[in-house]
Amino acid sequence: MSNTPIIKTTGLSYYYSKGAQTLFDINLQVEKGSIYGFLGPNGSGKTTTLSLLLGLLNNQKGDIEIFGQHLHQNRVDILKRIGSLVEAPSLYGHLTATENLELYRSVYGVPKGRVAEVLQIVGLEETGKKVVKRFSLGMKQRLSIALALLPNPELLILDEPSNGLDPAGIIELRELIKKLNKDQGMTIVISSHLLAEVEKMVSHVGIIFKGKMLFQGPLPELHSFQEKGSRIFIKTSDNETAYQLLQDHQPEIVGEAVSIAFSGIRQVAAVNRTLINHNLDVYLLHPKENDLEQLFIDLTTAQS
Amino acid sequence: MNTLISLRSEILKTKRTASLYFTLIGAAVVPVVFLLNVLGDGLDSTKKDPLNAIFKLLADMNGLAFFPWFIILICTLLPQIEYRNNTWKQVFTSPQPKVNVLTAKFATIHLLMLLFLVSTHLFMFLAIVLANLVDPTLGLFKHSLNGQTVLINAANSYVTMLALCAIHFWLGIRFRNFIVPIAVGLALWLAGTLLVLEYKSSTAYYFPYSFQAISLSPKHQPHLNQVAWTSVGYAVLVLLLCFFDLRSRRMTT
Repeated sequence: MSNTPIIKTTGLSYYYSKGAQTLFDINLQVEKGSIYGFLGPNGSGKTTTLSLLLGLLNNQKGDIEIFGQHLHQNRVDILKRIGSLVEAPSLYGHLTATENLELYRSVYGVPKGRVAEVLQIVGLEETGKKVVKRFSLGMKQRLSIALALLPNPELLILDEPSNGLDPAGIIELRELIKKLNKDQGMTIVISSHLLAEVEKMVSHVGIIFKGKMLFQGPLPELHSFQEKGSRIFIKTSDNETAYQLLQDHQPEIVGEAVSIAFSGIRQVAAVNRTLINHNLDVYLLHPKENDLEQLFIDLTTAQS
Repeated sequence: MNTLISLRSEILKTKRTASLYFTLIGAAVVPVVFLLNVLGDGLDSTKKDPLNAIFKLLADMNGLAFFPWFIILICTLLPQIEYRNNTWKQVFTSPQPKVNVLTAKFATIHLLMLLFLVSTHLFMFLAIVLANLVDPTLGLFKHSLNGQTVLINAANSYVTMLALCAIHFWLGIRFRNFIVPIAVGLALWLAGTLLVLEYKSSTAYYFPYSFQAISLSPKHQPHLNQVAWTSVGYAVLVLLLCFFDLRSRRMTT
């Protein structure tokens, strides 16, 4: 994976109306070849940011560079290299799956065979003459993904792509995204309000909340945050004494337990020895890792 | 070339919609009414040149009501394809200049307008042949058809309606709620027609919703050329406004 940013925004801000600022100084940086999970609760500004990246909204403040080119000066050239799915499926209900793709085939300048190829990728090759309005929501979502893949894009932007998919569909989508990234080196930006859904596939994460970026970086960096936030919960015959004995571990009294900062599994045995050596009965010694979901909630609620 | 690609895409979108049937049915109304009238009540055989008189009647009826209303409805219904399917955002994230999208949509409407004019004349010819078959004593083909006059009348209908077409194209793209352009069309078409036929007003030369009635008014008819140019001018101006409006809009739905 190269470190060249394929998307770079500088000081991006956006107002839908006066006094209602939606984005504040967003500096997004998506590296080439990465799978970037763009996370945030509903209404945090994900779709607004992605709409700005795709030119659906006019840039008000800040700068957007994609493939090293300014978006608004090179909109058409940039869009030729991007596949996108923004929010709900955007399809013509009175046309078949093939016809929906055929509409955009010449616009993207791709060969006729590509239509059948992308339909096969998303498992819709046998929908025949069935028109899209008769599709289930999951089928529509898969067709939208096929449409995004039609130009064989260098950059794929997917806004909440698992909406409407059943669990099997979500797993298939995840595998597809990983495959596209691995086999074709496709850079993928995927937004979601569910960290658990994307943490299994992303290499980088950006967390946005109330229009502000709270975190941006590689997934391992988020994991180190996670470890820093993990604690060991301890219940003993004398929690006051245990609290005094564990002063080096940043102890806290939590209800009927003492919690200390967790720094590794060997620490559990050491703490146990310390407590027993001071004649304390140990009833509970439970390392509780702060999962990414909890960290996401912590990061977003700490700001609210 | 790029505009042609966008046009192909726009034409494909009309597949399986009612637009083609709507055009052909709209074009058939006047000829069918004529035929039913001939079959029921016969034809005024005292006219010197019934064939050309029938075509003039067709041009007047279509020009005053059916053609303007066809334009108002088609300009409203075609952009509804995008609103109804929530597809504007997909259109604008595809690599087409916005001006190409707009041009292609406008051209699609014009293809349907031309189809309307061509088919209504063909249907009329068919209706005349049928009427003559039913009652050969009518002698409808004793005179030759003045093709040049038919063509000029059709061209006048087309050019004078360019302003109305551009206005309703903008309204159709501007408003998600299709009732708005139709209501505006109904109110202004009625007002415009009254201005010419009832009030014989000189302001009608500048009011696009009056242009359909100009050729029917002896007072206004000599100014038809001026009105045609005014119509072209309005169309260009409104299309420019439409483009700048579209460019500045949030296309998130």
